[in-house]
Amino acid sequence: MIAFFAAWEASCRLFGIREFILPAPSAIWGATVAVWPTVLGHTWATFLTAMGGFVASVVISLPLAMLIAASPTISAAVYPLLVVTQSIPKVALAPILIIALGANEVPRIIVTFLVAFFPLVVGAVAGLLATPPELVELGRACRAGKVQELLRIRLPFAVPFVFGGLKVAAALAVVGAVVAEFVGADAGLGYLIQTSMSFFRPSLAYGAVVILALMGIVMFWAVELVERVFFPWSSGAGQPALGA
Amino acid sequence: MIRLDRVGKTFRGRDGGAVEALREVSLEVAAGEFVAIVGASGCGKSTLLRLVAGLVPASAGAVTLDGAVVRGPRAETAMVFQAPTLLPWADVLRNVTFPLRLMRRADARTEDEARALLAVAGLAGFEKRLPRELSGGMQQRVAICRALLQAPRVLLMDEPFGALDALTREEMSLELLRLWTARRMAVLFVTHSIPEAVLLADRVVVMSPRPGRVVDVVEVGLPRPRSFDQEGSDEFQRCARRIRAHIFGGRGGTGDGARAA
Repeated sequence: MIAFFAAWEASCRLFGIREFILPAPSAIWGATVAVWPTVLGHTWATFLTAMGGFVASVVISLPLAMLIAASPTISAAVYPLLVVTQSIPKVALAPILIIALGANEVPRIIVTFLVAFFPLVVGAVAGLLATPPELVELGRACRAGKVQELLRIRLPFAVPFVFGGLKVAAALAVVGAVVAEFVGADAGLGYLIQTSMSFFRPSLAYGAVVILALMGIVMFWAVELVERVFFPWSSGAGQPALGA
Repeated sequence: MIRLDRVGKTFRGRDGGAVEALREVSLEVAAGEFVAIVGASGCGKSTLLRLVAGLVPASAGAVTLDGAVVRGPRAETAMVFQAPTLLPWADVLRNVTFPLRLMRRADARTEDEARALLAVAGLAGFEKRLPRELSGGMQQRVAICRALLQAPRVLLMDEPFGALDALTREEMSLELLRLWTARRMAVLFVTHSIPEAVLLADRVVVMSPRPGRVVDVVEVGLPRPRSFDQEGSDEFQRCARRIRAHIFGGRGGTGDGARAA
């Protein structure tokens, strides 16, 4: 990492790369620190939108996944719709939503949700359906009903898969929040990037990009931490280790 | 106490065709009796167990338990599968108590009983381990403890030692006999291994494949307690030979009572 930044800084100075093409790390740092309170405010706004969309994804995706896994009919009806939501470019949808719902937090959270929820649904459904038939039979032999089977056998079994989806969703939530802010917002890092570029301050825009990357990493790690602390059997076994 | 009266089972295949797994199987198992079922693959042994467990319905005939027709899983039967089938997220103790908790039959004594049972099975000190930290043999012991904790009157075992190595297998067989002697329940034990069947059972049911039928029931006259020393005895050899003859038919068997499958 340090070598990368050093090389970046050095090449900017040596080759005299101009700021609007690629600002040096020191310039990015300087521009960002100069307006630190403003940057912090924008970061907070983006974080709230990303978290809102992420929480909405979790709250909606898990019950949805359970419904899909419980019934082939629901699965056949809902899955095509989900795929449709994924094939619509969210950048195209965002302005429509903002006109329909007003310039407030709601359309931004919806856009974030739309970007983030799909891998979570797919992961959770995969986990619920990957439950070994022997475990399901064990439940049946213990006279477990459909609901008990879902909650006490399939859902715990799906936990590693759900966390796989959560990690992707956490990173995508940041993307979704920025997409929403590009289209209609008066705060947030996406908004900051747009305004800095229009006021010809590329260093500040780069600073915002770096903060976004950090935010994605932090949210990803936070999910991983929750998994390690509360579901220690989940991390490590079976799932390929993602990230650090 | 368990009675199968001309039971048949036909599965509908994926292609719509019917597969007859069992035909006209009649069998009675007394309370406290140990019955082994042997037969080549595809002779419907596992299906037979699942019928008794109430996991699949019979297509013909009836399975009764103490005179009541089995229509679904019942509290007095417990099952041990070929794979340990443990919950990967629960520790050994919670795995053993899982069926009772699921059936809301767990009470204050359940945990102590589970610990005692685990100790008998040589798993003392492993109560808080996760299944993936145990060897295959230990996992299967946990699965057997899980079944026994339900205090079943009927224990159904579907090749419970099938996935274990030969040495662990012998050790586990003797352990199972010890536990059964102490608790005396009816056991229906499906296996591929003829020596295992003869060593464990009071009677060995021999089945033929496609469709599964009972071709012979061999009474094992060996005194209990059983041990592997009895493998050399005439009675053991007689039983094993008779079973082998049925299973392999003319192919290498002695031929007495052999029947083309």
